[in-house]
Amino acid sequence: MTPVHSFWSEVLGGGLSGYILLALLLFVIGLATVLIRRSLLVQFMGVELMLNAANVALLAFARFRNGDVRATTFYLFIIAVAACEAAVGLALIVGLYRHRQTTDSDRADALRQ
Amino acid sequence: MFLTFALVTLVGALAMSRQKNLIVAGLCLVLSFIGMAGIFLLLSNPVAAALQIIVYSGAIVVLVLFVIMLLNAHEEEPAGKARPVQRWAGALAAAVLGAGAFKLVAVSPALHPANVQPTIPAMTLGQLGSDLFHHHLLAFEAVGLLLLAAMVAAVLLVKRDL
Amino acid sequence: MPKLLALIPLLPLLGFVSIGLFGRKAGKPAVSCVAVGLVVLSFVLSAAAFRGLADAPGGRIAVEYAEWLSVGDLKVPFGLVFDPLSGLMALVVTGIGALIHLYSVGYMAHEEGYARYFAYLNLFVFFMLTLVLGSSLPLLFVGWEGVGLCSYLLIGYYFETEVASAAGLKAFLANRVGDLGMTIGMMALFAAFGTLTISDILAQAGRLSPEAGFGVLTFATLMLFLGATGKSAQIPLYVWLPDAMAGPTPVSALIHAATMVTAGIFMICRLAPLFQLAPITLTVVAWVGGATALFAATIGLLQRDIKKVLAYSTVSQLGYMFLGLGAGGFAAGFFHLFTHAWFKALLFLGAGSIIMAMHHEQDLFRMGGLKNKLPVTFWTMAIATLCIIGFPGTSGFASKDEILYLAYLKSPALWAMGVAGACCTAFYMARLFTLAFLGEPRDAHAFEQAQESPRTMLLPLAALAAGALLAVFLGWPAAFGGSFRIEHFLEPALAFGRTNALQAPPHEGHPVLLAVISTALALGFAAFGYATYRNGLGAAEARAARFPGLHRLVLAKYYVDEALEATLYAFVRWLGNLMWKLFDVILIDGLGVNGPGVMTAIAGDFTALFQTGRVRNYALGMTLGVLALLFIFLT
Repeated sequence: MTPVHSFWSEVLGGGLSGYILLALLLFVIGLATVLIRRSLLVQFMGVELMLNAANVALLAFARFRNGDVRATTFYLFIIAVAACEAAVGLALIVGLYRHRQTTDSDRADALRQ
Repeated sequence: MFLTFALVTLVGALAMSRQKNLIVAGLCLVLSFIGMAGIFLLLSNPVAAALQIIVYSGAIVVLVLFVIMLLNAHEEEPAGKARPVQRWAGALAAAVLGAGAFKLVAVSPALHPANVQPTIPAMTLGQLGSDLFHHHLLAFEAVGLLLLAAMVAAVLLVKRDL
Repeated sequence: MPKLLALIPLLPLLGFVSIGLFGRKAGKPAVSCVAVGLVVLSFVLSAAAFRGLADAPGGRIAVEYAEWLSVGDLKVPFGLVFDPLSGLMALVVTGIGALIHLYSVGYMAHEEGYARYFAYLNLFVFFMLTLVLGSSLPLLFVGWEGVGLCSYLLIGYYFETEVASAAGLKAFLANRVGDLGMTIGMMALFAAFGTLTISDILAQAGRLSPEAGFGVLTFATLMLFLGATGKSAQIPLYVWLPDAMAGPTPVSALIHAATMVTAGIFMICRLAPLFQLAPITLTVVAWVGGATALFAATIGLLQRDIKKVLAYSTVSQLGYMFLGLGAGGFAAGFFHLFTHAWFKALLFLGAGSIIMAMHHEQDLFRMGGLKNKLPVTFWTMAIATLCIIGFPGTSGFASKDEILYLAYLKSPALWAMGVAGACCTAFYMARLFTLAFLGEPRDAHAFEQAQESPRTMLLPLAALAAGALLAVFLGWPAAFGGSFRIEHFLEPALAFGRTNALQAPPHEGHPVLLAVISTALALGFAAFGYATYRNGLGAAEARAARFPGLHRLVLAKYYVDEALEATLYAFVRWLGNLMWKLFDVILIDGLGVNGPGVMTAIAGDFTALFQTGRVRNYALGMTLGVLALLFIFLT
């Protein structure tokens, strides 16, 4: 177990722990955005943030394993998938707006019991 | 340097999550992405940094902004019913998750890899390309197919009559 | 050969099954042949076994067929015992039973449920024989319960009527109370002796000496006596017998005069060595018997329904039997059972003949002058009446006086009760006879139509009369120069297993004097009864007007039924209602049936709370799930 003060010095000095901590914080912020905000579009932005947090973690690990190109390749694929998701997700939001005239996720509760 | 970029990223993220005006929220997201691009640069990966700005902030966020403007949803709608439980529970859950994950990860030996070189050669497009087309061709084709499928799906989903 | 013993009860069972299944289709003649024939066959077999008793080792034929119960220490075999006691009883059951079956052919000829009647009657004979011949208490109890069941079925034969159904139920339920006593008694006996086979119990009991105070045996025998009061209609469980007259008259004759109600006496005789070890029980038996004898006889004085008079008479005579048993005269009590079976069955069948002739009229106050219209019935019933009032020289005289003498030896008060009862008996029997046969007819229309019954009914009457007369030879009392043969005959059975001879009650005192007093009083009351009623009801009504309160009280049977209704029945109904509200409605319906439904609904409503349809809430749920996993990983 690393002593606490050396952990924080590593963080501040740009060590792996720092990047991971950053990724973690970004993920948590993204999650909080999804949970707290009602607008579907803001929730979508939060999801993008979570994805990117994962990206940060991925590339940080790649760097500290002395540069693995496969990480970047995977990063590319992640972007591609995120783009697909964005397309379909936004299409859904538009569809919902067309039917319900709302982009509030709380109003899209037709499946409630 | 790390600290700067990290702060930029985090500030952008926080601002995005708190912003009432959706357009401004999108722009805060862009700021966050720029910060992340800087992080990637620090990680000796200029390719990733470029891709981040071009694709993420330049395409995806733009798409989101288009949709916001299309739907005229600049402001978040007023709540039908205020649900403090969800908000507070959500925030709490996320915070606890973060704290827990942090505790879990901090003790991991993976955080201290051996033989870390102080500098490494930066990633190049050539490297990326050759790796992509030599070793991950099938995945590349599959992703292309996926993109096609997503396009078709998006078109179909917003058609008025099928 | 001994193995064939089982046929005696099984033949009537076969009758029940075959008539029950095919009776309706086969038609009345076939049913009659099968039913009567099988009982006659049983009688023949019983007679054959009876003859074989003399040659049998130990004077008894005991057969064991198979093992029945084997639970822990309790081992009960399927077995039958034919000894002087059970053999004589079997002869009575099958013999008188056969006669009554024959009588029923005539009496029930116009009934719709002909096959049903004979099926039940055969079933009854089967159960009664099981009771009588059973080698163990559980088997006896099977017969005990079975005759109770048949009694219910046959009393409720006219089940379309409220009266009959209620009476059947009353009989069954009163018997159930007694059966509880039987069961407890059996359990106590098992605890004391470790076995329920009668011969084993008696063998063990033979080595014991009488209990000084209230011990296990006294408790057990008292409980068994409680069962006997139920089955044999003694105080306090007699209330069902008068109501049981709602059944067909032959049923009353067979079940409620000659056989089923005598099961209690038979049981006590069967276990005589055991009862002799519990002097307290015997005292209780004697006093209950004596009280019942007097009590029931007083009620019989004023009853209008001919069958009800005979019913109370039966209760009273059963009381005499118990009086005899309690006074130590087991043979005397059993002898009275024997003689009573003949003349009481005869009285009932004769009453049935009258009822048939009068087109189902049962009210004595509407009869009269039937002497010349129903000659056979008249003479046979005259014989029976003489027997029951104890006319000197009749079998009834012999058995009753033996009992009264033994009662006197036990306690003069008991003797006085018995004599008072005998006086009442003489009075009401004379009253019955006079009102039915003598004097002027009170219902001219019915009188015109009356005619003698068919031969199938008259033959049994004659046979029973002959039996009643001849029975006297079995037990002419020693005091009058006879040898009281029956006592010697029953000795092996009544003293089974006894190793140390128990003293027979000493025959001191003045038997002849006592007999003369009681007989003279009885005859006097009989004459009094005749005199009162021979000119119609006028004299009686005048006398009744002088004691209106007392008259009302006795006529209303001392309001016993009403008292029971107000107290016991009301309590049971209240308890039942409470149980219903508590257990049925709340526990079973509410908790058991509705419970799961309501719980499911509540659970469903609860889980539906989580189905908000909102993405945010679901995302929160997922996050909480991940948190849980995290928690697991951290610890």
